[in-house]
Amino acid sequence: MSALRGLTLFLALLLLAPAPAHSQKYQGRELVDSRLLADVSSITPGQPFTAGLLLKMVPGWHTYWQFPGDAGIPTEIKWQLPPGWKAGPIQWPVPLKLNEPGDILIYGYHDEVLLLVPLTPPAKIDSTSVALAAEASWLVCEKICIPGGAKLQMELPVGGESTPANADLFAKYRARLPLPLPASAQSALQWSRNEKGFRLTVTDKSLAQSAGVDFYPLPESATVIGHPQRQGGADGSIVFTVPIEAAEKSVQSLDGLLVDGDHAFSIAGSRPGPSISAIKEGPSPNGESGLAKLLLFGFIGGFILNLMPCVLPVISLKIFGFIQHAGDNRARIFGNGLAFTAGIFAWFIGLAVLMIALKAAGHEITWAFQFTNPYFIIGMSAVVLVFALNLFGVFEITLPASATSGLLGWSAREGYAGSFFQGVFATVLATPCTAPYLGTALGFAFAQSAAIILLMFVAIAAGMSAPYLLLSAQPAWLRFVPRPGPWMIRVKQLMGFFLLATLLFLLWVLGVARGVDAAIWVSAFLLALSIGCWMFGSFSTPVASRAQRSVVLALILVLVLSSGFYFIGNKFGASQVATSSMTKDGWIAFSPERVQAELAQGHSVFVDFTAAWCITCKFNEASVLESAAVKDAFARYGIVKMKADWTNADPVITKTLKQFGRVGVPLYVLYPATAPTQPVVLPELLTQTLVLDHLQSAAPKVAATK
Amino acid sequence: MKTKLLTLTLTAMSTAALFAAEAPKVGAPAPGFSLSDSGGKKHSLGDFKGKYVVLEWFNPGCPFVQKHYKSDNMQGLQKQFTGKDVVWLTIDSSAPGKEGYLTADEANKQIADWKMKATALLLDPDGKVGHEYAATNTPHMYVVDPSGKLIYSGAIDSKPTANPDDIASSTNYVKVALEEAMAGKPVTTPTSRAYGCSIKYAQ
Repeated sequence: MSALRGLTLFLALLLLAPAPAHSQKYQGRELVDSRLLADVSSITPGQPFTAGLLLKMVPGWHTYWQFPGDAGIPTEIKWQLPPGWKAGPIQWPVPLKLNEPGDILIYGYHDEVLLLVPLTPPAKIDSTSVALAAEASWLVCEKICIPGGAKLQMELPVGGESTPANADLFAKYRARLPLPLPASAQSALQWSRNEKGFRLTVTDKSLAQSAGVDFYPLPESATVIGHPQRQGGADGSIVFTVPIEAAEKSVQSLDGLLVDGDHAFSIAGSRPGPSISAIKEGPSPNGESGLAKLLLFGFIGGFILNLMPCVLPVISLKIFGFIQHAGDNRARIFGNGLAFTAGIFAWFIGLAVLMIALKAAGHEITWAFQFTNPYFIIGMSAVVLVFALNLFGVFEITLPASATSGLLGWSAREGYAGSFFQGVFATVLATPCTAPYLGTALGFAFAQSAAIILLMFVAIAAGMSAPYLLLSAQPAWLRFVPRPGPWMIRVKQLMGFFLLATLLFLLWVLGVARGVDAAIWVSAFLLALSIGCWMFGSFSTPVASRAQRSVVLALILVLVLSSGFYFIGNKFGASQVATSSMTKDGWIAFSPERVQAELAQGHSVFVDFTAAWCITCKFNEASVLESAAVKDAFARYGIVKMKADWTNADPVITKTLKQFGRVGVPLYVLYPATAPTQPVVLPELLTQTLVLDHLQSAAPKVAATK
Repeated sequence: MKTKLLTLTLTAMSTAALFAAEAPKVGAPAPGFSLSDSGGKKHSLGDFKGKYVVLEWFNPGCPFVQKHYKSDNMQGLQKQFTGKDVVWLTIDSSAPGKEGYLTADEANKQIADWKMKATALLLDPDGKVGHEYAATNTPHMYVVDPSGKLIYSGAIDSKPTANPDDIASSTNYVKVALEEAMAGKPVTTPTSRAYGCSIKYAQ
């Protein structure tokens, strides 16, 4: 029905106007003369050019801009292009602001306008000429409004020498296109929003001092606004207020044009939360090269995991592993390296599979999420303690005699299994540290398909295991390692103390997350577990009778299970999530609203996304953020310090991390008061100089000159 | 000279203040008014306390109004809701000499020609009520609930075109708002951007 009507209309139009230009008659007058034009005389395959829809209105009548204002409809162009062609969005020349009786404000064009559209032909065109068709529709108004439309077509030759066409006309309207706002002026614009409306403050001198400067809004379709009003602001700035009739809560600003006489600048308001493109750091990953780059980042990140402060306690363990290997033959060393690598891969692939499964189940999964689960930390504590006791010699792990007999290379196999487990263990402790690059890479990976997540984790595993594999393949580098001897027992015991230090840290994390009592209950369970280990080492030795061993094992089982049930299941389970104790010494608790509120008052804000279990975070805090020089700079520049404590995986913080493309802590973000929509992300390993430089750049100008 | 300038400035400012009077907010009480219909009968918003009231800004010359009348869409809605005890007031704010201005006789003819089913066609040639509501478009729709509170303001539907073929595939915001409010539910879209011709107010 409608197709038939359209066809009839089309045929009627064809009869009325056989020329490519079409007209719209009203009381015998042509209201709008429309025509399709190109800025080239012929098409070069693959070479973009600009097409234009030329509308000529009779005097007094107008068509509308992209945002028509209080009434009216924007002109539309529907292209019917041959396959392989691409049309860009309409580039709208700066419109006129027109006032109709009754304070009706509209944006449109009188007399004539050329709407520009970038067109890209395919790289190969077989025919000698191409017909480009478009259906244009518009609303033209004077005292009354009449909708109009036309099916237009232009025919262009393909190939040959392409020379500019319609040059004057295109030049005239290109000159009327808004320009992108110069980077230098970006910081001179600030948006805020209250119940009544949006507020745009322009502090740029050349703009603010121009008498005619105006703001033409480009609201999203769901945003209903009143008329922008211009006011003088403090110290020579100007302020545009735009009343809100309806707008989503998340909309904090508007797109639009800053119009100053003949020229206009296009300004894009910030999207809800910082958009990735507004963040200065971090590549925008796309396409295959993006993926390759991210896999490389994953690899580098994995490699750097070895050097991060949070892996330090385990590094000693790994070195010990290599010392053990030093006495072995080459094949065996390489075998151990492979086993260690396999352990690392097993952990990361296991994590990837778990992530993919949880992602599929719709959970909000973030890097190091396992450390936000207290039961995971309890499990880790138990493993670390058992390892420490083993290193102290409280008990030895020996395989049953039946497994040993008849099997050649038993020790080698045990070595490989040990290396494998060490690989797993080292990695478990390393995961909460998101090394530089890794944050970006993982942030990207989590938004991707299961295959890419898996690839990403494999890349990280490869990066982390690379040095070990290299060392085991080139054991010559191990010649600097001392010969094995009785001193190894002492080293082994010393390692035990390192592990106990790690245990202390884990218990502290539990204390922060669930309170002191909870940490004590877990310690009580660990004590019972230690006694179990001691019983195993003392009374369940291979020389003891089978009956004795069974009885001892049963007793250990009863002890560990009942204490686990009582201390963990009962006492610890009843503990509450503790409120963050991190907000002191001038740090205030983070919330997105708080950040906006402080920015609205003209304060720069620094946010430290941290967690009790994140050693990198603690390291940065102790060595940089809490240092006298940095503390002093915060105070001097009046920068608000906020802490986002992610110890218990606060969902609001998780969401904010995601907005920055991150899935873990640490993350350091500085919102400068001069450019609140362009937060600056600092690297994950801070230095004093770096932080001081950033703080100074965000300092209010007045304060800086003091 | 100075006084003249001052008077001029003050006049300009008060005019601006008058027009800048904020649009009534959805959720706030709808501004009261009293207008004569095409039969000369006075209607006040206050008369309809306890009932849902739809306000529809109208200009028979406007293609967007024609879209909804020539397709019988508007009459259908008027019939459906007046049948449910809703008061439907169609308001013409076109100034004399401008498109859409109707004398009482012309208005009655228009009602008959288009078989309009509104409760009344109110004439607002000086645009006072239109300004009171900050109505800008024809059609421009408002819904007032039985307590006198404004619960919808904006377009008639979700497709801002003059093509009647688009009606079937669009969401009618007025219908949805009325149905939701009557069912005791919050209105999903309480405000939208009105579309159509500008109202042809007096200079």
